Amino acid sequence: MNKWLKQDLWRHIVAIITVLFAIFPLYLVVISSFNSSGSLQITSFVPREFSWNNYKLLFTSPAIPYLTWMKNSLVVAGSVAFISVVIGSASAFAFSRLNFKGRKQGIQVLLLVQMFPAILAISAVYVIMERVHAFAPGIGLGTQGGLILVYLGGAMGVNIWLLKGFVDSIPKELDEAAKIDGASEVQTFWLIFIPLATPVLAVVTLLSFIGTFNEFILARLFLVDMQSRTIAVGLQQFIGGQYSQNWGPFAAGSIIASIPIVTIFLSLQKYIVNGLTAGSVKG
Amino acid sequence: MFSVVRSKLAFVVKAALLALISAVLLLLAQSALAQKEYVIGGFLFVVIILTLVTYLTKKSIPLKFFLPGILLLVAFVVSPILYTVTMSGFNYKTGNIVSKDEAILQIKNRAFEPDTAGTSFDIKIGTLQGKHAILISDIKNKSYFISTTEKRVPVPTAQVKLNENQVAQSAVGFEPLPVDQLAAADSQYSGKRFIYDGAYFLSLEGLDVAIVARQTLTYIAQADSFKNLIDGTTYRDNGRGNYQAESGSKAILEPGWRAPIWFENYSKLFTDSRFRNPLIRVFIWTVIFASATVLTTFALGLLLALALNKPLHGRRIYRSILVLPYAMPSVMSILIWGGMFNTEFGAINTLLGTHVAWFQSANFARLAVILVNLWLGFPYFYLVSSGALQAIPNELLEAAAIDGANPRQIFRKITLPLLLKILSPLLIASFAFNFNNFNLIYLLTGGGPRNTLDGEIAGATDILISYTYQIAFGSSTQDLGLASAISLIIFILVGSISLYGIRKSKVLESFS
Repeated sequence: MNKWLKQDLWRHIVAIITVLFAIFPLYLVVISSFNSSGSLQITSFVPREFSWNNYKLLFTSPAIPYLTWMKNSLVVAGSVAFISVVIGSASAFAFSRLNFKGRKQGIQVLLLVQMFPAILAISAVYVIMERVHAFAPGIGLGTQGGLILVYLGGAMGVNIWLLKGFVDSIPKELDEAAKIDGASEVQTFWLIFIPLATPVLAVVTLLSFIGTFNEFILARLFLVDMQSRTIAVGLQQFIGGQYSQNWGPFAAGSIIASIPIVTIFLSLQKYIVNGLTAGSVKG
Repeated sequence: MFSVVRSKLAFVVKAALLALISAVLLLLAQSALAQKEYVIGGFLFVVIILTLVTYLTKKSIPLKFFLPGILLLVAFVVSPILYTVTMSGFNYKTGNIVSKDEAILQIKNRAFEPDTAGTSFDIKIGTLQGKHAILISDIKNKSYFISTTEKRVPVPTAQVKLNENQVAQSAVGFEPLPVDQLAAADSQYSGKRFIYDGAYFLSLEGLDVAIVARQTLTYIAQADSFKNLIDGTTYRDNGRGNYQAESGSKAILEPGWRAPIWFENYSKLFTDSRFRNPLIRVFIWTVIFASATVLTTFALGLLLALALNKPLHGRRIYRSILVLPYAMPSVMSILIWGGMFNTEFGAINTLLGTHVAWFQSANFARLAVILVNLWLGFPYFYLVSSGALQAIPNELLEAAAIDGANPRQIFRKITLPLLLKILSPLLIASFAFNFNNFNLIYLLTGGGPRNTLDGEIAGATDILISYTYQIAFGSSTQDLGLASAISLIIFILVGSISLYGIRKSKVLESFS
């Protein structure tokens, strides 16, 4: 007993206090989402009632096109994730496997470019896309198409970089064997590499999906129209300083929007942590 | 046989795809050129040519793989960076947004004054021999005429159809515009100058009234200057994007244009105290914020990792709850915290029994920002520290224990230094990330509290990147040139920090 106290008690105390800190805001959102008054005010930290009112409001109130926002987020994040991984994996394959002049310099430039935080060039992106809008209203400022293009550009650097790491870890013998059997580089890519890398590509796709789903500022700048907003922008504009009025539906909305992301995240935890530490723990 | 069919099919698909892509791009390029966007149009043509050459010839196999990726990078990452560099050398702000030609045109169009009597006429808009024209009713003098931008045609009273107010509705040769086209016609007619008399012309005020006015400024192309026809003042290009009066009031003409001012945006930041002081204040807070975040998140994460670094009852439950803040979409979490810090009804004040106006006081707002970021960031360091702890060889710790070191000594002399060595690239990366943690600041405090009455742009919790955003989009004067200059300074700062971190993690060595 004494030994247990000495060795383990502090561990439990630290863990419990931090768990309380971690869970407090989440607990609060959950109970207020079931509070029919929808008030930000907490009269008691123990839930007194259980009502689906706020959730119903999300799907019925014309002031909150929640389903449209959700659909927009899925479309934007989904297409960015899919397209960027398809294009990115081809580039990563070239950088990892093919020999060509300037490969090393190319990788260094890529490393430098992907370090530039997209947000720093935001005024330039804004001005450029405003000009694009003047001649191509479908893909300029204010459209989801334009936003997807800008996201794709931004995702390229990181995705190529990340995927190159994965490609490097696939044994070279396999594509060398394919080469001896007379396969061209393009065939090797489609018939050997893609099937082998499918699980990895799926992980990177999901990570890219989470990243895009979470993106706020470009979406805020691009999607002004109520019907074209993503869920992050929609909920932020909806709460927009008027916390006391719109808290209930906001709480319900943010819970529903978070569930898929949290689920993906938890199921990919292993890869995410490995990806985050790769290159550092090794060295 | 089968493979032949398949390769033929593949070729057809490839050709169709290429044709489709080139057609779409060609269309875009054409409309870009039509809008005088030569750089964008030119870029699109280069894209088309590169695509066709790459995929129709066997010139370069690697290019087949990375062309799409490179093109996207160039279009949406590299060119905005280059454009940022360019903008930072220009006087690019509200009032100086358009090009010089456009500015001259706008100054000319805006520069007129009504005649002294303030004469106005009822009019009808339409066309004369296919040209934009107006039918004017000078009711006082019972005279009617049609005017275009080139000539004025008197109309005998017998040839006009009047309404009850003696306003001409139509005339021989004059085609009134159908009612359903009126709204669309507004932009074609307003701004036009219809002939009246000598220096005076007619300008539309709405769709059925025209006033008599005369030009006040005239543009002298040879001297690149404007001359005021009434008082004789000359306005010259002041080299900074405006025409300015040569003497006297030194007044400038609106609008200006985006003119190159080279390094002025930068020098202003370092020499002009109105820009330098807020920049220094914001910079200091950015460094404090990023350092405090790294320190607190790392400390809490490490403490947890140490506490849970051994089989323990309930460890799995602890673990799965502890990563939740990291798994939640951060935009939602930050907004939720924003509600919790609400002064009137927020849970924090309720819980503490206080009545603190968190976001109205500079120090409380700063505290809140760091606290929320601790919540968002500690699970990351918990996860990576746990991983790093596993990577420390057990023999090392056992050897130290045998040599008589107590647990505290082992931690301080062996575990911590090793951990820091392993994790330092991640600590640096976290610092670089938080240096630009725009979402947190923007969504939680909006950079505030700030003293808007004094025209202050920088708020107490503004970090460099949110301050830049305020300059570019937030305040009444949008100064894109200055914002670009600050962006590039941030990039150089953060880039050096990141490069240093990468050096440390030796990623670059793996290239050889």
